Amino acid sequence: MPVPSPSASSFLQPPRPLSRRRFVESLCGGFGAIGLAGMLAPQLAAAPTAGAAPIGPHFAPKAKQIIFLFLTGGPSHLDMFDPKPALLKHAGQRPDSANLRTERMTGGLLPSPFEFRQHGQSGAHVSELLPKLSGVVDELAIIRSMYTFNPTHTPARNLIHSGNIASTRPTLGAWVSYGLGSENQNLPGFVALSPSSRGGSLWRSGFLPAEHQGTHFDNSQTDPEQMIQYLRNERLDASAQREQLDLLQALNREHRADAGEDAYLDGRILAMETAYRMQFEALDVFDVRLEPEKVREEYGSTPFANGCLLARRLVERGVRYVHVYYGPGQPWDDHKEINSKLRERCPDMDQGAAALIADLKRRGLLDETLVVWGGEFGRTPVSEAGDGRDHNPYGFTMWMAGGGVKGGVNYGATDELGFQAVENRVSIHDLHATILNQLGFDHERLTYRYAGRDFRLTDVHGRVVREILA
Amino acid sequence: MKVLALLCAGAALAAAQSLDIDFFEKKIRPVLAEQCAACHSAQLSDPMGGLRVDSREGLRTGGASGPALVEGKPSESLLLKALSYQDPSLKMPPTGKLPDAVLADFRTWIERGAADPRGEAPATAAKKQAGPGTPIEEGKHWWAFQPLQTHPAPPSSRPGWARTKMDAFVLARLEQNELEPSPEADRRTLVRRVYLDLTGLPPTYDEIEAFAADDSPDAYSALVERLLASPRYGERWGRHWLDVARWAEDHPTSEATNQPHPFAWRYRDWVVEAVNQDVPYDRFLRMQLAADLMPGFQPEDMRALGYIGNSPMYHKDPRLSRDVIETLASDDWDERVDALSRGLLGLTVACARCHDHKFDPITNKDYYGLAGVFASLWLVKRPIVEMDPAAADKLVWEHERLVRLKGMSGNLGELDTIAEELHPVVARMKEEVAELKERLDKDPTPLTHAVIDCGVYIDGSTPTVTFFDLRPGEPRDLPVFIRGNVANTGDIVPRRFLSVFADGEPEPFRQGTGRLELADKIVGPAGPLAARVWVNRVWGWHFGEHLVRTPSDFGTQGEKPTHPELLDDLAARFVANGWSLKWLHREILLSAAYRQSSHVTDAGQSADPTNRWLWRMNPRRLDFEAWRDSILEATGELDLTAGGPSAEADESPRRSVYAKVSRSRPNRVMQLFDFPDVTQHSPQRQVTTTPLQQLFVLNSAWMQARAEALSAAAGHDDEPQQKIRTLYRRTLGRNPQADEIDLALSFLAQRQRELGRPAWAEYAQVLLATNELTYFH
Repeated sequence: MPVPSPSASSFLQPPRPLSRRRFVESLCGGFGAIGLAGMLAPQLAAAPTAGAAPIGPHFAPKAKQIIFLFLTGGPSHLDMFDPKPALLKHAGQRPDSANLRTERMTGGLLPSPFEFRQHGQSGAHVSELLPKLSGVVDELAIIRSMYTFNPTHTPARNLIHSGNIASTRPTLGAWVSYGLGSENQNLPGFVALSPSSRGGSLWRSGFLPAEHQGTHFDNSQTDPEQMIQYLRNERLDASAQREQLDLLQALNREHRADAGEDAYLDGRILAMETAYRMQFEALDVFDVRLEPEKVREEYGSTPFANGCLLARRLVERGVRYVHVYYGPGQPWDDHKEINSKLRERCPDMDQGAAALIADLKRRGLLDETLVVWGGEFGRTPVSEAGDGRDHNPYGFTMWMAGGGVKGGVNYGATDELGFQAVENRVSIHDLHATILNQLGFDHERLTYRYAGRDFRLTDVHGRVVREILA
Repeated sequence: MKVLALLCAGAALAAAQSLDIDFFEKKIRPVLAEQCAACHSAQLSDPMGGLRVDSREGLRTGGASGPALVEGKPSESLLLKALSYQDPSLKMPPTGKLPDAVLADFRTWIERGAADPRGEAPATAAKKQAGPGTPIEEGKHWWAFQPLQTHPAPPSSRPGWARTKMDAFVLARLEQNELEPSPEADRRTLVRRVYLDLTGLPPTYDEIEAFAADDSPDAYSALVERLLASPRYGERWGRHWLDVARWAEDHPTSEATNQPHPFAWRYRDWVVEAVNQDVPYDRFLRMQLAADLMPGFQPEDMRALGYIGNSPMYHKDPRLSRDVIETLASDDWDERVDALSRGLLGLTVACARCHDHKFDPITNKDYYGLAGVFASLWLVKRPIVEMDPAAADKLVWEHERLVRLKGMSGNLGELDTIAEELHPVVARMKEEVAELKERLDKDPTPLTHAVIDCGVYIDGSTPTVTFFDLRPGEPRDLPVFIRGNVANTGDIVPRRFLSVFADGEPEPFRQGTGRLELADKIVGPAGPLAARVWVNRVWGWHFGEHLVRTPSDFGTQGEKPTHPELLDDLAARFVANGWSLKWLHREILLSAAYRQSSHVTDAGQSADPTNRWLWRMNPRRLDFEAWRDSILEATGELDLTAGGPSAEADESPRRSVYAKVSRSRPNRVMQLFDFPDVTQHSPQRQVTTTPLQQLFVLNSAWMQARAEALSAAAGHDDEPQQKIRTLYRRTLGRNPQADEIDLALSFLAQRQRELGRPAWAEYAQVLLATNELTYFH
């Protein structure tokens, strides 16, 4: 069966019987609009089709979309972006003056064995583990003074995803989808790329309507039909499917009108529409093999590299938020053998992330795409189990690029051991406030009323880090 | 005169207090809220340093470093020390020193006695004290550990509303919150609700109409009784239990030492049968831990031991070191402790593996006391027929030897990785494997996955190979593995139950492994908790939301019940009624609260959007099993054969409870529709709604085949309206409305024009895909 082109085939449909159309309209004015939007090619469909109209930005946005590169487990800032000569000087010692306590038993100071050099015009220090990212430092705003509020993976991951330690609040991607709606009706607005489907709660919508939940795809696959099950309808072409779906949705709308307000029913009606549209876009969009050989070589061919490349393809087509996980599991949780493990794990991360920046830039997409890099926390300057590092929520590094962020910025600092953020500290809430700001949202005004009060991603916190903005 | 002076002094004191409180409200409270509460509040499950500043008590109790303030003594108050940035290791807030004026306010406030009108912080579930664990004696006061007691039904302003006793408690809560209960649901809604709830299958059109037409006063209770007596009921409620028991038929991986369990279905069948027979819940639990040790044991009861017998196991390559193998084994024991404690008791005992529980009264030693039980048993196949005990024993150990030899010789078979002197040993193993396999394959004795008592020791005396040294009759007391490290052992802890349920020092278990004693403790001293946890789960399956909304955590980090007296009363009467699940169903299903309509009211929605106070019934999406079974029933394909080996959900027409459940290769359709992760205990089902699910509904061959079958089952299309009506009755249990018939005819005519033939299957698929079919309310 040829891949149907939604624009052509649906425009060429014969007109429908009048009685039916009238019936549909009488049911719900909004439904006709959705059906129509589904027939339009994405570039023609001006209005987003989320259930309720999206909030829309509060002011002119700098970024239209976000790619969050997430290194699950807590990558070591001390071995990548935050050199600390003091560690070498006092290697093996444990200074009494500093409180270096974390969850686990740790030993003396563990210097990084990796050589740091200054790169680019900004002179940012980056270790030899990241030769490719070293080449694009002038695009990055490196924040060396991040801190979070919990030393344990699950709560800390919840914090960086949702601003709260509980596994119940809406995640950043869901807030973005809620705020901006979807730009492309054929694809979900919020996509999670992870080789494991087990992180489901990290792309939850929490109390936001179910349609803002992230949709997960397995980026260890490259064939869209492997990546997305049941993508192809073997029996019906696009227009036949559209007719079938219009009937289904008419019945669903009527049922919804009788049942009353219900998030599940609304969410399923919208998910049904998205599913329908996805099948036409996805065979193309999700196939990184369609990229020129040169581009694929630039990114590399590991799951993370494919995730980065796929993320670019998705934001190009209007997906608002793509979260790429370096997984499965939490590979960056280097409690032991950190030196050898980082050497194995960094190259493909480095290559994929740097290629993404360069590629977005070449395509003129970097200006409108905010790329964020980091994990749930950093690691300790003191050793664990000989040559490992424990979790460190008190100070770590993240970087942002594009989307109205100033390139070549080095912001904030940890103490001389790299344990605690001390200068220009940036909390997880500040990070969220800054991300929302770039999308055109005042984080204090992006709210959702639930259980009797207005909730925010940043709760009662958050400061936009204006110092890193262009 | 004297009296007057006293009164005046009292008034002056009161005035001064009010001034102090004013000072607190203006100067202190805002700073605490803005500068400190983000990291130190009861809202956090793990406030930093254990310190909470959002209550009077929190500041006085302090955190890991001790009390944050001493009334009247600024110089001894850690709070002021931290704020003043004198101590390099204690500078708060970390974002920078506060202005001197603020520090002066804090000094004044503490000097004047640190007036603080705040009570316990709202929504607090935080611990009473910092540092490792709550002391056992103090922990015994926690609500969930209290003896069960019945409560008098609260008086009501709506006489006649309550139908069963629990209603009075529900109504009291509604009245406290100025809400009104919803009217009773209409009969067609109600009959669908009760059918799906009790049997996991929707009623047929005829059953719905019969109930709707039955105006006898006991029609509803007769319906409940009929469904409770149906074999379909045990299939539904047995499946609920299987979630708690994280039942599956293999392990997360399947290497040589952890091969799949071919007879795991026998445990599933036992569960279904036991639920159908309403085996009292206390006995139901005891049998799963120790059926073989209980009086009146029948060989078929051996199947109950599958609760532990089908636990997930990790592969243990014999080439690994003793410490690594022991760590892997201790991970297995940990999984049992976790599943048992969260599943049966709502306690997170596994948190105490490396240290005393940080929030609940569970010690590090408690953990090893329990883990020792699991270090004293081994997962084996056992016969379920009457046999000579010696012959049974021989059979069990031969099967076990085959598994272990196969695993060993398989892993050691890569000869270049082992010492040369072992080569002939491996050769002998392989011979024995062949011989055993041939003999045992022919043995007709039916087996089930169970446990057998023997201490599990690790033999690392051979440098290149690590063996399990299993010692029947020699249970193993574990040492504390310090911070969870098996190479760093502390005191030996006798196998025993949790201290919080003992008077004084807990008694060690004395009979064999201690399995039966453990079971007796769970339903005895810990019985009130076990009953509360179970009643709460049952409540959640009936109402879609629990009374304690963290059903596997009744500790201080969990939620407290929305209706404490109701839970207490219901659990007390559940136990008094012989731990009968069917009694509990009747109490709930016959209530007025359960029969409420699910319609949203403005008043309810604005005051209580999450429906904590039950002003209406919660509408619900069907879970995977009920949804799949509904479809198969509509198409007429559903095969109601009970029991026996499993088949893949998308390859079999049998009820979903008989679907294959794998830990290593989870069925992707089941995963897609929120079947839980069976590698560990899962507290409750999640409900997600994703486009990927809808792709399955729209495009999968499975759905298309069901649509064909449905269309065929609905008969000829000589009379399209007749066929449409049949399709509606089969899928949605009702007749189509006139506009629905118009829509159908219009769709069919359109497709007929395009295809040149009727498109009944396409139409049938639409009905199978409707929201209405996936939902009940």
